[in-house]
Amino acid sequence: MGGERAPDEIVKGAAQISLTTDIDCLLVGDEDRVQAVLEQQEYNPERISLVDCRNAVGMDEDPAAAAGRRDTSLTVALQAVKAGGADALVSAGNTAACVLASTRVWRLVPGVRRAALAAVYPRHREYPEQDPLALVLDVGASLRCDALDLVEFAVMGSAYARRISKVESPRVGLLNVDRDPRAGDDMLIEAHRLLAAEPGLNFVGNVEGHDLVRGGADVIVCEGLVGNVARKLFEGVSGVMLDVARAAGEHRLMWRLGLRLLSEGIERLQALTDYSNYGGAPILGFDRVFIKCHGRSNAHAVANAIKVAAKAVRDDVTGEITAVMAKRRR
Amino acid sequence: MARRAESLLCRWDLDKTYLRSEFETLRQLLRTAWERGEDKIEVPGVPEVLKALKASSERTGRPLAIHFISASPPQIGKAIRDKLALDGVPYDGIVFKDQLRHIRRGKFRNLREHVGFKLRELMRGRLAIDSSPDELLFGDDWESDPLTYSAYADVVAGQMRGRALETLLVRIGVDRSAVPELLALAERIPPAPQAVRRIFINLARRTPPAHLQAFGPRLVPTFNYFQTAVVLAADGVLDRTGVRDVARALADRATYTPTQLDNSLADLIRRGCVSEWTAQSLVRPLRREGLLPARSRRPRWRRRLQRWIRRRRVDATAERRTLDYEAILARLPHLTRTGAERVDVEEVPAT
Repeated sequence: MGGERAPDEIVKGAAQISLTTDIDCLLVGDEDRVQAVLEQQEYNPERISLVDCRNAVGMDEDPAAAAGRRDTSLTVALQAVKAGGADALVSAGNTAACVLASTRVWRLVPGVRRAALAAVYPRHREYPEQDPLALVLDVGASLRCDALDLVEFAVMGSAYARRISKVESPRVGLLNVDRDPRAGDDMLIEAHRLLAAEPGLNFVGNVEGHDLVRGGADVIVCEGLVGNVARKLFEGVSGVMLDVARAAGEHRLMWRLGLRLLSEGIERLQALTDYSNYGGAPILGFDRVFIKCHGRSNAHAVANAIKVAAKAVRDDVTGEITAVMAKRRR
Repeated sequence: MARRAESLLCRWDLDKTYLRSEFETLRQLLRTAWERGEDKIEVPGVPEVLKALKASSERTGRPLAIHFISASPPQIGKAIRDKLALDGVPYDGIVFKDQLRHIRRGKFRNLREHVGFKLRELMRGRLAIDSSPDELLFGDDWESDPLTYSAYADVVAGQMRGRALETLLVRIGVDRSAVPELLALAERIPPAPQAVRRIFINLARRTPPAHLQAFGPRLVPTFNYFQTAVVLAADGVLDRTGVRDVARALADRATYTPTQLDNSLADLIRRGCVSEWTAQSLVRPLRREGLLPARSRRPRWRRRLQRWIRRRRVDATAERRTLDYEAILARLPHLTRTGAERVDVEEVPAT
């Protein structure tokens, strides 16, 4: 029950889900506070259970120290999933603490050395049936990594896209400063070489920043630092674009009328770039499903994250990653 | 008049409480009118609650009567009676609203005004009985049952008479020509404090329970009839067998899983409708039979502490206060006729 808007938005999201889907939600948090919010919502009690846990990891808390505490809602939830009380975990709490605590409680899939936080983002569709969303990882599970980590990220991202986006052979790109295989530092050049040699991977080479939204690849791999900056830049730009349009409308009547005419399109654009419509980002590499929501997630985002988690469980993403990693080890 | 606490009168609404009636559109309304008994669908578990109430009264020797009050026209009475017979539900009386009379008099607004009708029938029903029984009222959150039943409970308790009742009736838009009769009926009812022991509201439209807190702890909103059965059993009206029968009906005929039943029970406990101690002791046989999952192993001291906290919570809500109808109507304006045209229940702000 972490996050900047917890427990209210988390509980509201779970309440929405309880009414519209067959997903059972196990809420881990301060029972009194959760119940107080829940009773103000329309909800289906048959699909909601609650584990009382008074402590939550603060958003500004030291992740390493927080991950070591056994009395937080995060650790209790991780333990609940490990014990089979739930199939997946959704959290809007401190990202670093989520990753570290998961490492302590869960196990990495054999063959995976480092977990990766993946994020979906809208991109240009090249054909009508194409998934309008692509996957980028890592976006912040760790800051730095080596070439082998990037290969593992590519394999995991590819497995995720195969199961979730139903793409038979997802195209994988390496985020770099140029398309030239010799571009970037030694680590990126080595990563390019390893990715190109990786069997079973549809590697399309280096992709540049503008390729993120152009749709040249279904899965893009990068270091956590770069991925996190790219993801937040994207979120920021979409917000600024709408502000700029709004401000322009205040200057000239004609522009305001033009904006009115475009309002439906602008709303679509807003919906397309609104992170809350995509729910959360999967943390890939563990033997369980973890969907990490934005810290500012509202009820809509939480509800979508729960749906993403349920889809990842139903489509057995973890099983696919385990199978692929086992094949690599052989 | 001395109260004979041993007799019990149960009053049930029909649509959305017993039957899963759907009349949100004109087409659905017309279909409902033409449905036969076998076409009608009950809310899961409700026939078992009614049967269990009767069976429990027979076992304990406590006289119990079941009456239905429906705002549906008497023309669909045959289908309703057929349905009740098909379900094997025992009942002692059924009243319908004579909608044709309102049409003949040109009082079309009265077709949708049910508070006056239900209050009159509730009071008439009580006056028709020689004794002064305890009462249990069962309704839903679709229209005005929480308000109607609470007002009736206060009339029976002697807290709502004369000017106060008149003001309320006018405020909620009851036909003015019906007010004198309602006031006269209220005056004839001997005051019996706490005779209406519980008001159960089936949350058919999933009204947030907090929105009904203003009606006090006498009114219990429930999401399904397993919850209703547990509260009835906690009150001593139903025995464990009854609770089991309702749980079994939900599991067998409405595909409720043990987890869903357990979650319903936990919700009831968290809302303070029953203490954990009582609830868990009532459902112990259900856990043995697999209708509910086996209990999780929490540390004993923690369980005891939580039980103690919850018992304190239940005790605190058991205190009965006089309801502030002005505050209720200000908070739930859809309960008044004029408010109903402006405000939908979903738009009611949280407290």
